[in-house]
Amino acid sequence: MYCRVSILLRKQFVSVLILCVGLVFSFTPARAADPAAGKAIFQANCASCHNVQKKLTGPALKGVEDRWPDKQLLHKWIKNSAGVIASGDAYANALYKEYNGTAMPAFPTLSEADIDNILAFVDAESNKVPAAPGGGGGTTTAAKSEDSGSSSLIFGVITLILAVVAVILMQINSNLNKLAAEKEGVDHPEPVPFYKNKAYIALGIMILFMIGGYFTIQGAIGLGRTQDYMPEQPIFYSHKVHAGTNQISCLYCHSGAEKSKHAMIPSENVCMNCHKAITEYTGEDLYTAEGKKVNGTAEIQKLFDKVGWDPKAGKYVKAGEPIEWTKIHNLPDHVYFNHSQHIVAGKVQCQTCHGNIQEMDEVHQHADLSMGWCVNCHRTTKVQFVENDYYKIFEKLHKDIESGHIDSVTVEMVGGTECQKCHY
Amino acid sequence: MKRTSNILIAAALTGGSFLAACSKDHRKPGKHYVPDMVDSRAYEFYNKTVANMKPVEGTVKRGEILPYTLRAEDTAQANLVKNPLTLNATDLEEGKRLFNIYCAVCHGSKLDGNGPLYKDGNGPYPAAPPSFIAGKLTGYSEGRIFHVATYGYNVMGSYASQLDREQRWKVAAYIKSVQNGGAAPAAAAPAADSTAAATPAAEAAPAAPAVTK
Repeated sequence: MYCRVSILLRKQFVSVLILCVGLVFSFTPARAADPAAGKAIFQANCASCHNVQKKLTGPALKGVEDRWPDKQLLHKWIKNSAGVIASGDAYANALYKEYNGTAMPAFPTLSEADIDNILAFVDAESNKVPAAPGGGGGTTTAAKSEDSGSSSLIFGVITLILAVVAVILMQINSNLNKLAAEKEGVDHPEPVPFYKNKAYIALGIMILFMIGGYFTIQGAIGLGRTQDYMPEQPIFYSHKVHAGTNQISCLYCHSGAEKSKHAMIPSENVCMNCHKAITEYTGEDLYTAEGKKVNGTAEIQKLFDKVGWDPKAGKYVKAGEPIEWTKIHNLPDHVYFNHSQHIVAGKVQCQTCHGNIQEMDEVHQHADLSMGWCVNCHRTTKVQFVENDYYKIFEKLHKDIESGHIDSVTVEMVGGTECQKCHY
Repeated sequence: MKRTSNILIAAALTGGSFLAACSKDHRKPGKHYVPDMVDSRAYEFYNKTVANMKPVEGTVKRGEILPYTLRAEDTAQANLVKNPLTLNATDLEEGKRLFNIYCAVCHGSKLDGNGPLYKDGNGPYPAAPPSFIAGKLTGYSEGRIFHVATYGYNVMGSYASQLDREQRWKVAAYIKSVQNGGAAPAAAAPAADSTAAATPAAEAAPAAPAVTK
């Protein structure tokens, strides 16, 4: 009797032990869910279509575990979404319909532990507060222009002081002369006040004539040239953020520069290549030239208003209309200029003519785009002459290079300063 | 004496007005002298009636390869499309250059899906661009890569407005050559076969609209 009881007890003990061990094991993966490991798996498998905070191709994953009726089903969905849809689950089918029948690919290779890690990462990420747009204290760049001004101010003050000293010395000299003359008893005529002195008047007029002439000529030369023109654009588009910080190539948007006369302002679909997904600005603070702070996210919203994109729904809700950017660089109609010729054949960098665009929040016209400016560059710039079929016809120059008579060919030598090269 | 002081006053006023003219407003373009020959009447792409206009449907530029007729959803057929161009090493180099301009900003210049816009999730782009050298995209055919560049896929937009058909094929061939470990592109089709791209579509979907993509 005793024996039987003890055997029974022992059997029970063993089964309890097995149960306990089993329980511990079954809980282990859940407890060890590792957000860091989940991040790697998430980025490799999920991040192309899902973001934790933001709806992309698939829904935002924040609170995904609360949305699904039970965890087992969510695991099943991740492994094989088509299977769950086929099983007729109401939530799965509603989701499939909401995303216009875009099916989530099956991930049969993910283990249960992997999925737990992913969900742990999503959970950890959901609790992070999204970075405030335009956060972080930035300093304005208004002080920049004062640097170049200060040295000329110092020179001006020194000149003024020296002029005053010179006038005083001249006055002393004339007074001393007068005293000396009185002592010698020479009769001296009543002095003429300086504003009636013809020599002074003539000098004053001469100086004014020169100053006036200088500004008249400068003004006349500047007529029609719009150097430093920096208009306010309909959207505060910062080239510094796009081409500088985010290293987008100039040609990505201005793809016409290689193919045609015009570099082209990109059509809005090019903006939307990235801004379908990028709906807010979180970089450094932006300021206009007047020092006014710019809300980057609101500027992106202006783009969405123009193209008719609803970032919440993730689709186009109305017909788009063009953004009317203000043209900055404008050559007169009687000048022919071709971007592709300069960029493809001439291999000229954009910055040579347009300045450091990648550092400009608001673009201004860097060069004066005058004819003298064009011609100077054509005189000094060397073309890639050898091994270039384009210049095969210049036989004399090729012979000169072979004989060592000249070592390089400038644009001018292949007709780059002929009138009808640009004016026809 | 009165005359000279009048001259003085006049000169001072003129000088002052010239000096006042120095302070330039950079928000305004400034003055033009007889602008008749400056502003073009036919202001090319800024003209409201021609801005953002597409070419007439089915337009083929002289010397250009024939339009791509598959539709966005024809992915299965896109897998079978062969590159109609005969490409050499120079063309692959050009494909690389174009990839680095138009694709590398997201997909990375190493094709690893980690371009400056993503930067391991620290860049402004919220979605991870897929890698070309690992995972699903290694199984994509050249035709499928061309198809995705033409129509876009998921959050990626269409690149048909920035890259013409020839350039897209060069980029696709470059990606494939990197995936194959820098090997030459798969047996180049003969030049006479330049209509090959259009053929499968014409057979499979005769009613497919000829979209100039």
